Amino acid sequence: MRPELERELIRKCRAGDPRFYEPLVRAYEPAGLRLSIAMMGNAEDAEDALQEAFVKTYDSLHRFDLRKPFGPWFFQILRNQCRDMLRSRKAKFRVESLDERLESRPADPEDGPERARQRNAARELLWAGLERIGDEHREVLVLKELQGFRYAEIAQILEIPEGTVASRLFHARQALQAALVELGVEGP
Amino acid sequence: MSAPGPVSEQDLMRYLDGELPPAERARVDTALDASPELRAQLENFRSLRAGFHDLTFPPAGPDRSVWDRVAVRVFRSSERMFIGIGVGLWLAYGAYELSTGRSDAWTRVAVGGMAIGVLVLFALVIRDRYRTWSDDV
Repeated sequence: MRPELERELIRKCRAGDPRFYEPLVRAYEPAGLRLSIAMMGNAEDAEDALQEAFVKTYDSLHRFDLRKPFGPWFFQILRNQCRDMLRSRKAKFRVESLDERLESRPADPEDGPERARQRNAARELLWAGLERIGDEHREVLVLKELQGFRYAEIAQILEIPEGTVASRLFHARQALQAALVELGVEGP
Repeated sequence: MSAPGPVSEQDLMRYLDGELPPAERARVDTALDASPELRAQLENFRSLRAGFHDLTFPPAGPDRSVWDRVAVRVFRSSERMFIGIGVGLWLAYGAYELSTGRSDAWTRVAVGGMAIGVLVLFALVIRDRYRTWSDDV
């Protein structure tokens, strides 16, 4: 969504018309759901966190600085919501085993059933590895690897300097590698 | 040719993620050429990244969108705002009527009673909200 359109929608929401919030929700929902699922580990908690984050974002729109992009600000609220839920007694990072909501890329027609099985097994192991590492490491990996954010954007979402993003990514990747080795994955 | 400076963990991550400026990349390239250990470490991180490329998520379709649930709450909060403004205006008018003393005593008692009731209702809502918030934190 174009930034000027986002700003216009936000202005209209601030003026008291929530109908203009729908395009923003629809635009950010797919990426928000990816981040949320990756942080919460399962779709049910992820949708609860996403819904709560959208409501909190709406309630805070009057505090949003219109000179800045909306996306990182929203993802910051969503990330805080996921962390709050993980900290509270309501939810715990819990991976749904080969959950139907965590789909792999469409199967390559040249891939045989054996290849598909290997891919599924690798995917399950990766999720199991993510389950074993700390929340702080998981969130930075998710933002980088699944959302494809640049360091500057991750820094804004996590409210840390860019140097810390690089450093945290290094330790997160090491932690994930160690977790995968513990799970029996042979090093490359 | 001078030896390249040491490659920090931050440099390595920036190199891997394409966040290093060209001059810095060249320095890391030189260090990689000189160090098999560093090359092996980078390869480990690269293969870890490749694993993530297999993970994608289904797009949120209209049937699964959270918008309906979000809408119920944001529309409710707008309605609450308008009701709040309405009640505020009504109370202000009531206060004006009471202070000017143009109404008879029974009307003033009735208006005063209703105003107190509304304020108590607001206080109860705020207390419930605070309790919910405390439970969440």
